[in-house]
Amino acid sequence: MSESNFTTKFLKLFGIDNQGHSRRDYLNIWVPLISVGLALILGMIVIAASGRNPFQAYGLLFGDSGLIPGGPAWRREFAELLIKSAMYIATGLSVALAFKGGLFNIGAEGQFWVGAIVATFFGYWSPVAHTFGAMYIALGSFGWIAQLLHGAICIIMGMLAGGAWAAVAGYLYVKRGVNIVIGTIMLNWIAWFLITSWLVIGPMTPPSQTFTSGTFYVADTAKLLRIMMPTRLNTSILLVLLAAYATWFLLYKTTIGYEIRAIGYTANIGMEAPRAQGINISRRIMQLMFLSGALAALGGTFFILGMQYQFPNTAIMGYGWTGIAIALIGQSEPMGVVLAGLFIGALRTGATSMQVANIPKTFSDIIEGMAVGFIAMQVAVRYYLVKIIQHRRARRDPPADQEAAA
Amino acid sequence: MKALEVRNISKMFPGNLANDNISFSVEKGEIFAIVGENGAGKSTLMNIIYGIYTPSGGDILVNENEVNIRSVEDAIKLRMGMVHQEFMLIPRFTVTQNIVIGDEPHKGIFLDYGRAVREVRELSERVSLTVDATALAGDLPVGVQQRIEILKVLRRGAEILIFDEPTAVLTPEETVELFVTMRKLQAEGKTILFISHKLKEVMEIADRIAVLRRGKLQGIVNKKDTNEEELARMMVGRNVVLEIPKIDVEVGAVAFACHDLHVRNNRGYEAVKGMSFDVHGGEIVGIAGVQGNGQDELVNAMIGFSHPVSGSMELNGKNMRMVTTAQLRKEGMSYITEDRARRGLVMPYTVRENSVMGQHLDRPFSRGIRMDYDKIGEFAEGKVKEYDIRPGDVYDTAGSLSGGNQQKLILARELSMPHNFLIASQPTRGLDVGATEFVYRKLLEEKKAGKAILLISLELSEILGLSDRILVMFEGRIVGETTPDKTTEEALGLLMLGVGIDEKVQS
Repeated sequence: MSESNFTTKFLKLFGIDNQGHSRRDYLNIWVPLISVGLALILGMIVIAASGRNPFQAYGLLFGDSGLIPGGPAWRREFAELLIKSAMYIATGLSVALAFKGGLFNIGAEGQFWVGAIVATFFGYWSPVAHTFGAMYIALGSFGWIAQLLHGAICIIMGMLAGGAWAAVAGYLYVKRGVNIVIGTIMLNWIAWFLITSWLVIGPMTPPSQTFTSGTFYVADTAKLLRIMMPTRLNTSILLVLLAAYATWFLLYKTTIGYEIRAIGYTANIGMEAPRAQGINISRRIMQLMFLSGALAALGGTFFILGMQYQFPNTAIMGYGWTGIAIALIGQSEPMGVVLAGLFIGALRTGATSMQVANIPKTFSDIIEGMAVGFIAMQVAVRYYLVKIIQHRRARRDPPADQEAAA
Repeated sequence: MKALEVRNISKMFPGNLANDNISFSVEKGEIFAIVGENGAGKSTLMNIIYGIYTPSGGDILVNENEVNIRSVEDAIKLRMGMVHQEFMLIPRFTVTQNIVIGDEPHKGIFLDYGRAVREVRELSERVSLTVDATALAGDLPVGVQQRIEILKVLRRGAEILIFDEPTAVLTPEETVELFVTMRKLQAEGKTILFISHKLKEVMEIADRIAVLRRGKLQGIVNKKDTNEEELARMMVGRNVVLEIPKIDVEVGAVAFACHDLHVRNNRGYEAVKGMSFDVHGGEIVGIAGVQGNGQDELVNAMIGFSHPVSGSMELNGKNMRMVTTAQLRKEGMSYITEDRARRGLVMPYTVRENSVMGQHLDRPFSRGIRMDYDKIGEFAEGKVKEYDIRPGDVYDTAGSLSGGNQQKLILARELSMPHNFLIASQPTRGLDVGATEFVYRKLLEEKKAGKAILLISLELSEILGLSDRILVMFEGRIVGETTPDKTTEEALGLLMLGVGIDEKVQS
């Protein structure tokens, strides 16, 4: 690098420089932006077609999404946006990381639940909870150390469990040839029924409670620290940004990421090229599934330690599935996943406000769905983008030989 | 009459003038060859004529009328047909289904399969291209699959046939058959454009030959008035040493040895049936044989992709029968593959990323789990210069390089890894003269450096020119061992086809 100013040196500390990986196709940035833009335009048409005012709808949707500062409730909305987005980004990173290795981890949903239930357990389980409770009192004004440690243990245990859960699918794929999509989706149901049909209404429920009350509540020391009083914004957004950075670093700066991407690029032609160079494909795939599962489980721990404080006996479906959409919109790039996660988080935060004006909140789901649809059609989007670029170039500087021919 | 004429065709890609003002015309009933190195612009030119690319400038005339070819459909309407290098067949469909697809005879909304079969049989009789109309395309040998492609094109009424490197995938016998077919088509008045970089074939089949170099037309010559050497000079722009110099190196210790090796293919049949041989340092052992006689399975076993069923395999005296590719590489195995796209390189990876794959876990390319892309970049820059890998930007993806430059990149990577045993499996397949010469030179340098080299090739001239010892492989066995000075191409050819093999050796 020619310039060695402070900024570049500082960024280099974190491994960020412009030579980490291949020169990226700049269309990668434009495709999701255009897809989201098209979805928003089409969304307006759909709202207008239903006889409602699209400008009013979007005004409410984005005005109350927490994205735009101002208004009496902005701090609360902003907090809600970040709390939601943190979970979406976690599952989005999970799916994106697996995509990079050529695997479709459709089981982020189940891994999310596994992470959530394990975090719940370590949050209330008395040997742990009492230890940290005692520590909190003993430390006095340094009690936050106990909180940090207890939270960390819950998160780490949740991530390990979610990772192990996903690694089962990885193992079945590598050793038994079970398709990863089938394996992960089956494990989703196993996780779902283990948790909702047994743990939540059985061993993890306080004996005096009814079946519908969910599990024990976690101890106060296990809860994520709040960082913007009086809202319930907690450290989850910071943790997930750290996770996004770690994912990026893993993919583009480490030997593991180098091998994972080589495997992903050749996944549909038998992965022979990396194999012939001595890369241990089986081991990497299992590791990749573990890491992917751990990321989804991280979202699950946020759900418990930052929002619910117990595993409720109501369906909490959808965070993992949304992760797939986010990974797609984010083009499987960690930075893209962060932005896509914030976008989806904003749509979902603002959607409630639309209902006030008698506009169903499903319209935000429609926009989300159409954005994913346009991403899925990215071959077409790219095609027209290239056409437009070529057209503009041709107008700006016509090829010399054509002039000569004329 | 001129069946096809192109005038001043140019094609500009970003940063690359692929075709520069090319003009030529092809007479009706002529076999017109277009030769050039990989990346010379042959395929681009054909894709323009066939409507896949639009030219940046120039005109195309068919039957002396100016035409505007905007798509493949337009080209087909103008009675053109392309036989692609990669066949576009559906393996699970029958020959008939493959031929009629897209233009099926039908009864109402149902396919009239009976009539389709009859049509295909009539057509194949008329042009005497024998195919079994009801066989599954995927079960047929490559040569027959190509015939299906030709029939498909003919059924659509093609008068101008474009063959894009048709012999690249064929065995020598299949090539001979293809040439018979091409002559028959010529006799029927069809016009044929034949794209190739194999000069011997061009000299055999073409009437006139156009030579392209770096997007420019170097000249059009009559076959009668030229020879291989002249064509090679026009193609690469300098004299090419097609003769391989003999060098004598003192033969060292045994590097690789196998004894009574049995290997199964992926369908569970034994493809290598008891092979025993060794390779010493400082010698090139050539394995000659027709494709599909167990070479692929032998290589797979040697690089750790499959484990032999029985027999022994040793590298530098260590048992290597049940080990992984990583262990073999650690022990000093390097591997040059013919299958660059699948097995050689990760195509979406850059030159830089590809250049260290296999040694990326070693210093200085990584430390702990952290890759050192600065060091890798320096390494790649050096290799790009040393091996003259063009266009020379280490940030280009491997997939954007021409075949010859991809192979140079593979050589650069494999030869810079610590090794003493090199497996070169069809190292010049699909390469032009210049790149082929480069590969030969590198192999000889390796030999001089005392490395043990196993060369597996279908090209007899290559085997005879490079090897110190030649093993002939037929149906999974070694059916003969000889040296280049004691044999000829003809004698080897017969052995490869299993002619005159002693019963004792065979059993």
